[in-house]
Amino acid sequence: MKEESNRMRTIQMKLNDEPVEALIQENRSMLDFLRNNMGLTGTKKGCEEGECGACTILLNGKPVNSCLMLAVEADGQEITTIEGIKKNSDLHPVQKAFIEKWALQCGFCTPGMIMSAIVLLEENPNPTEYEIRDAIAGNLCRCTGYSKIVEAISAAAEVLREV
Amino acid sequence: MAKERSENWKYYDHLKKIYKKPEDYELAGKSYTRVDAEDKVTGRAKYTEDIILPGMLYGKLKRSPYAHAKIISIDTSKAEALSGVKCVITGKDFHGGKLGNPEAFKELADKDPLCRDEVRFVGDEVAAVAAVDEETAQEAIDLIEVVYEELPCVLNSTDALKDDAPAVHYPDTHNISMFTTMQAGDCDKAFAEADYTDKHHYSTQMMVHAAIEPHGAIAKWENNELTVWTTTQGAYVSRFWIAYGLGIPQSQVRVIKPYVGGGFGGKLDAFPHELSACLMAMKTGRPVKIILSREEVFFGTRSRHPIEFTIESAFKKDGTMLAKRCQHVLDGGAYGGSGIAANALSLIWATFPYRIPNLDMTARRPYTNKPASGAMRGYSACQVHFANDVHMDEVAEELGIDPVELRRINGCVPGYQGPTGLQVTSCAFRETLDKASEAIHWEERKNNLKPGEGIGVAGSGFVSGTGFPVLETPAYASASTTVRLNREGYATVFTGANEIGQGSDTVMTMIVAEELGLKMDEVKLVQSDTTLTPYDAGSFGSRVTFLGGNATRRAVGDAKLKLLEVVAESWGCKPEDITMKDHRVFIKSDSEKNISYSEGIWMYEEKHFGKAVIGVGSFAHDGDKDIYVKNEGNYAPAYSFSTGAARVEVDDETGCIDISDFIFAHDCGRPLNLRAVEGQIEGSVLLGLGFAVYEECLFNEKGKMLNPSFRDYRFPTALDMPQIQSIICGEPDEEGPFGAKEAGEGSTAPVGPAIVNAINRATGLKFHDLPVTPEKVWRAIKEKKAAEAANH
Repeated sequence: MKEESNRMRTIQMKLNDEPVEALIQENRSMLDFLRNNMGLTGTKKGCEEGECGACTILLNGKPVNSCLMLAVEADGQEITTIEGIKKNSDLHPVQKAFIEKWALQCGFCTPGMIMSAIVLLEENPNPTEYEIRDAIAGNLCRCTGYSKIVEAISAAAEVLREV
Repeated sequence: MAKERSENWKYYDHLKKIYKKPEDYELAGKSYTRVDAEDKVTGRAKYTEDIILPGMLYGKLKRSPYAHAKIISIDTSKAEALSGVKCVITGKDFHGGKLGNPEAFKELADKDPLCRDEVRFVGDEVAAVAAVDEETAQEAIDLIEVVYEELPCVLNSTDALKDDAPAVHYPDTHNISMFTTMQAGDCDKAFAEADYTDKHHYSTQMMVHAAIEPHGAIAKWENNELTVWTTTQGAYVSRFWIAYGLGIPQSQVRVIKPYVGGGFGGKLDAFPHELSACLMAMKTGRPVKIILSREEVFFGTRSRHPIEFTIESAFKKDGTMLAKRCQHVLDGGAYGGSGIAANALSLIWATFPYRIPNLDMTARRPYTNKPASGAMRGYSACQVHFANDVHMDEVAEELGIDPVELRRINGCVPGYQGPTGLQVTSCAFRETLDKASEAIHWEERKNNLKPGEGIGVAGSGFVSGTGFPVLETPAYASASTTVRLNREGYATVFTGANEIGQGSDTVMTMIVAEELGLKMDEVKLVQSDTTLTPYDAGSFGSRVTFLGGNATRRAVGDAKLKLLEVVAESWGCKPEDITMKDHRVFIKSDSEKNISYSEGIWMYEEKHFGKAVIGVGSFAHDGDKDIYVKNEGNYAPAYSFSTGAARVEVDDETGCIDISDFIFAHDCGRPLNLRAVEGQIEGSVLLGLGFAVYEECLFNEKGKMLNPSFRDYRFPTALDMPQIQSIICGEPDEEGPFGAKEAGEGSTAPVGPAIVNAINRATGLKFHDLPVTPEKVWRAIKEKKAAEAANH
């Protein structure tokens, strides 16, 4: 049992626009791989059962819970984490809107929340309030009551539409 | 009446002459961003689980599968023999004291860091392992063999009080850990003279904090000093209990609080995982990290006390409230810890926001074989105000008085002195009532509701800066700050205030920048490290902005006065003639006469042979220190007041409750930042709404929690939350920093009763027990229809 779980495999992926090759345990979650092997601790571990959304990353541009994904599944794929969303070293408009609108308190859900918001706005540049709430319904926040998060995403949508 | 104040306090009063005047505020009450926002939106912010140290080991805990059992034996030999395991500990390895409570309640030190003889809830900690990785640590945990002798358990507070109940801790005590009474006036007389009396029973459920960051700690033992990074709401509180539990001096322990991913009261106690990480670090000489799983956080940390209420009240025909008798029974769970404060708090809250001259109240907190109940945002207030304010609506209906009017008649007013000694200063309760009911269109809607539509209001009052010390403190739950003015053009603030998400780092930074005329990014903040920052009692009891904010203003005021005295001497004027703005120090009446901030500091340092400009400040409420023992007196330096108003639509086919609007009117004095206050209110509404209609911890008959996951526990998502309108009421408070009062805790309390009052109005039913889930509503509607059909 233990021997099997210790089996290693080499994988290649594009991680935050950089090619990465890594030798990893086959049973390692993507979340653990990012946090422990790559030092990318912006992706948070809140529940490890796919419920809180704090570990949301982008797999080929789509949001996934990295705690429910094996790192080997990223082989040959494109992965983006919160550390990879700046554009030309400038904060992403969604990040800026979160700062301006006070859309965070403890900040623990914030990276995952921002990842979900970015995908929403790429797919739907002019979302209704309901669509925003629906897009982040898988990201739990215990601090804000979500109001300011919804407001920030709406404000970012406006900025992105003007770009 | 203010007591005779110390020399120290007089000095602080003396500083007021050089404080910025409200008309000159450039930051307080204005627009600025959080100082930690960029760290948090980029993922750079480091929380406990993000810290990785060289050579670090990973720890896990062995937990009891029984709600109550005697430990016969523990065999750790197989675990120790497993490759990769570096340390295994059990209760006998600890040589310090039991974890418990402050000086006043020493006998309630009831929790061994790891259980020695008995386990008292499913999840109670019996052993710990440190290994080279988490998988190995977990494998070793499974290899530890514990032989138990199962004992009878008791799982609710009613059973716990029975004569033949099994003893959770001590026999012949009816399991009561705390008994508190509070009396005032003459209740018997008032009830005899009343036109109307009413008696009802209410109950609330167990809920959990569910901060998204799980609890965890990392400990390192080097050079005879323990360094601990932990998910705490009070670095000094953690240091005290870690040292106490290990039996080493506090001077050998350094606690550093990294960013904390939400607390809500759940990270205030000392926990076995912290103590175990420390002891295993000391035994191995290697850093040890223990992060709890989500499931462990649910059943192994703390929760909100379930309370059973019996409330009897007496009124005059005109709506004047004459008296209240009540009994509160709080389910304490297996241990005391921060939970023992719940008892007296429940009685204090029951004395306001309504003026009640005659009171006869008792609160009992029995132990049960469930996870320990503890502090939680709106501590006891959520439960008490639920019972009281649903009760108010029932009385209003019986008396034929509008519920808003009944609250207006009885609500607290400025300067109100309560019969048990509470001294209200600023108070805009009636304004909150008027504005909330206006915003929900109370008058227009109340007689024109559609079928299934309901509106409800509820009021609450809360402390602004609790007086209760979690630990023995130098002066009553004090807060202190040090500020250093640097000649390179910036300032450093060393604050013990514990940022847990509420925004205290931003408030402390703002206060220093405001007084010194600097930009906020020119103030560097060092926080919550027991080696670097001065004492602060912790983030609880809505004390941080009020006490910590005042301490910081006094500290920066102290530094500013020292600086201005030197400048004034050189310019031949008085310190109060000078102000600081835009990086400059100048005479108010002659802005031409000015020097830069840095030149000012040079001038001071030159005069004092290089001595740095350092200011210190502290704040402690001069209230009644024995309030928890004698149950009377004033509790806090100020009180906040609020009214919640809800509009709901209930589907009578399904019982589904749609909370369409929520209005929150809050008297928080001067808001130091409007968005910060709104954020606190909106978060409070989420907690209060979850409490009212969603959340409940469920147990089986063996005491095992049935829903320890986000999926099964289910707190509100973005789709479940209504539009929230916040209305800020009141005037700046005289004692508050820049006039501010609390905004984030008391605001949870009126949410539940406002929603339940609206549901009661929508359905014509009377719900007395939380949570009012759709299933409960559906069943009640079905029963009501069946009863109506039977009558026809």
